Amino acid sequence: MIASRAAAALIVFSAGLAQAQSPEALGWLRKIHDATQKLSYSGTFVYQHGGRTEASRITRDARGDIERLEVLDGVPREIVRTRDIVKCYLPESRVVKIDRRSADRSFPALLPEHIGELARHYDIELGGMQRVAGFDCQTVVLTPKDSLRYGYRLYADAKSGMLLKAVTFDAVGQQVEQFTFTQLAIGGVTREQVRSRHKAREWRVEDTEAAPAHLPGWGLSAELPGFRKVIELKRRMGESRPVAQVVYSDGLAAVSVFIEPMEGQADPVQTGTASLGAIHIFTRLVANHRVTVVGETPAASVQRIGNAVEYHRPQ
Amino acid sequence: MKERISELMDGELEDRAAGELIQALGSRREALDTWRVYHLISDAIRENQPLPQATTAPVQPRRWVALPIAASLAAVSLVGWLAFAPQQDAPQPALAQAPPQVPVATAPALVPLPSATSDYLLAHQGFSPRVSFQGMAPYVRSVSAEARGARP
Repeated sequence: MIASRAAAALIVFSAGLAQAQSPEALGWLRKIHDATQKLSYSGTFVYQHGGRTEASRITRDARGDIERLEVLDGVPREIVRTRDIVKCYLPESRVVKIDRRSADRSFPALLPEHIGELARHYDIELGGMQRVAGFDCQTVVLTPKDSLRYGYRLYADAKSGMLLKAVTFDAVGQQVEQFTFTQLAIGGVTREQVRSRHKAREWRVEDTEAAPAHLPGWGLSAELPGFRKVIELKRRMGESRPVAQVVYSDGLAAVSVFIEPMEGQADPVQTGTASLGAIHIFTRLVANHRVTVVGETPAASVQRIGNAVEYHRPQ
Repeated sequence: MKERISELMDGELEDRAAGELIQALGSRREALDTWRVYHLISDAIRENQPLPQATTAPVQPRRWVALPIAASLAAVSLVGWLAFAPQQDAPQPALAQAPPQVPVATAPALVPLPSATSDYLLAHQGFSPRVSFQGMAPYVRSVSAEARGARP
């Protein structure tokens, strides 16, 4: 079995090396990107990871640039995102978490002109046509050039470019996570549909107050190949813990390093790695700070970044 | 004998059979050597696994990693115990010597999700370029973290 896995890995990688980047595939990535920004839609999707399946409804009003996510299974949750703000409603505990995204404006999100740069870390090819939720979809496959990032198989509506399904796979081609629309209607979204169901009056407000910041003394002894620092900020987390956050990205996958002083923290640091679908979380104690590395990358990547975090007292 | 040692390592022997075999390991040099070689093989296989494979998909690989570690620990404690057991063959230096160095925990420790996972994910997600491709669907992970027992 090990031999066959190794062979599978070899095939995946050598297939990637043998083929040049196809301009059509890059064109499709741009089409998906544009559809995500420009289309209004409403649909139900399932998130699958590690044998679990969770259904959610997502609605986007492109004119108002408002998007609403409502979890359909288990504990009710709602997240509403506008251009500047993300609000997460927790009706059971009557809490609303607010993440103001003032920092985002300067953040280099994946801009269409940068899509070509993804080819440095991924082989990007067109796959076949597949039907998803009644839509004929073009598949686009991003195969990583090393084991520090995951691969993606994207299924986009051939007409509109809307992403119907996204599969994340690891170095041996095994699926780690999947998002799939089971029903989708494009267009015809009213403003009312993206408004929160909750007035949230008299709910406790947890405001993250995130703001770009310089974090003197903190850095990495070695960078993770292909991942560069995109932003440093300070924010509050939970009820009011001050936390520093540094984000690294290869243009598609991102890794956040959270740094929190241990003073006043009840939980001891449990060094090690946890996982949730494609997300890995590595925790470690550095200079009496809890360092938590969160990334949609293989475990080795968050561990390498986590182990490279260091603090030098500023001179 | 070799087959039964392998069954013992995999926990497939019943208590009595296991007890008899463990006694045999104490008295027969050849059996003990086989036991050690099997564990070295098991450890070597585990070390050769690509790292992401060992820790990515949450359910199976985790179990897969956990078992050989338990087995290696068992090997260490068993060899330790045998060193104190009465020796039947007169000179048996191998038993008295320190057990071979068995790499026990080469893979980093797997820990439960931190209690603040949903907060970390909410904070992280806003900076993931993936949102540019997929809208806010990936935000559902922060909710999933809560469902997995992490604090809301």
